[in-house]
Amino acid sequence: MTEKFEPNIIGFLCNWCSYAGADLAGTSRIKYPPNIKSIRVMCSGRVDPVFILEALKKGADGVLVAGCHPGDCHYQSGNYKTNRRIKLLKKLLGELAIDPDRVKFEYVSASEGQKFASVVTEFVDELKKMGPNPLKEVKV
Amino acid sequence: MVDNNQLREAVKKTISRDDVKYVVGYEKGTYGFQTTPCFAYKPEDADKFIFSPLCVHNLSVFPMLEEKPPLRKGEEPDKRKIGVVVKGCDSRAIVQILQEKGLDRDKVVIIGIPCTGVVDPKKLEKMFPGHIKNVEVKDDDDKFAVTVDGKTQKIQKSELIPDKCKTCEYPTPILYDILIGKEIKSNKNEDYKKVNEFEKKSLKDKWEYWEKQFDKCIRCYACRNACPLCYCKECMVDQLNPQWVRRSVNISENTAWNLLRAFHLAGRCIGCGQCERSCPMDIPLMELNKKIEKEIREMFEYEAGVNAEEKPLLAMFKPDDPEEFIL
Repeated sequence: MTEKFEPNIIGFLCNWCSYAGADLAGTSRIKYPPNIKSIRVMCSGRVDPVFILEALKKGADGVLVAGCHPGDCHYQSGNYKTNRRIKLLKKLLGELAIDPDRVKFEYVSASEGQKFASVVTEFVDELKKMGPNPLKEVKV
Repeated sequence: MVDNNQLREAVKKTISRDDVKYVVGYEKGTYGFQTTPCFAYKPEDADKFIFSPLCVHNLSVFPMLEEKPPLRKGEEPDKRKIGVVVKGCDSRAIVQILQEKGLDRDKVVIIGIPCTGVVDPKKLEKMFPGHIKNVEVKDDDDKFAVTVDGKTQKIQKSELIPDKCKTCEYPTPILYDILIGKEIKSNKNEDYKKVNEFEKKSLKDKWEYWEKQFDKCIRCYACRNACPLCYCKECMVDQLNPQWVRRSVNISENTAWNLLRAFHLAGRCIGCGQCERSCPMDIPLMELNKKIEKEIREMFEYEAGVNAEEKPLLAMFKPDDPEEFIL
């Protein structure tokens, strides 16, 4: 059964770096698992922890937030602030027994199509080991 | 021990000022172990003010609860100040609100009371179950003198004070206009004993614990309403479009609410314990708050509600913030 489990990943990709990075992965025909559903945001700083929780609640098994490298943010400091926020959220998730590794924050620049592919591949492998997300909404 | 007469004098003086609208303080409650917040609009009202270890509420919510109805044409806005009676922890809440620019410093008059710890009403009620007549509790060095039905008992403080008072680092208000009594220095230290112990548990044990706790939650949002720092005009749980948290009471929605509540207080919670006190289902909410507080202290060396000049934690960054992975 566990082998058949295909994790759902929601990816919040920053418009200026990571989305272009994912685009590059596509145009260079690099293979990566189709489990990720990407959502383009204008900056990784746009990602409210509410979004991440909503994704986990609605059935995502993992959430990837990807932004520009430190110092490269189009809006100067968005990625630094997200970094703080996600780090705290992960600590809190760990306290509540949702595996903190279900949330991932990565720096992917526009030229790193290869990195984007490898990040997604690794993440899918990790999630397959973890199994389905326990927070999934209870359907009444 | 706080001199009630001195407090009443200070309140009288404050409310006599022309630029003060009202003063919030404590008065004797209608029954049992309770005190209730009370308001003084006239100097005579000051006579009912008291301070005892039963004054558990954090009154710094009141300046934020102030309703501001739209003005009629030609009407002047009410620029008068509000007086608040605060303990050490309550003053931190005010400092934090000032830091976030939720309130102007010249909009409040702060009457500070150095406090050596209050009573946990739930613990006291367990000791004297079903008691509905007024009870007097006095501070007596390291004991509380509890008078029930005319009989006075001395009970060790450590048995009655809530956890937050056991590790209180700021017994004297940080910010005040008038201080009643003498400043107290704290010799206590926040050691996060409970948090550290809980961290050692496995993920499965943790979930078992919290599942049981969150299952109790009835989502009355008392924790939010009692919190001095939950003052958003529209809380994210009240939003309908998009609706982040559904109204249904089930484990995943309850978990989401409690997690988001704790997260929205990250770097802002000052540990006054009002959420836990007001919770009708006895969910240990402070454990979540303390966990975040500890992580913030370790990672960013930051403490909420101490310095009003500092920038809020999540609105700033340092280039040398700790990283979990190598770039």
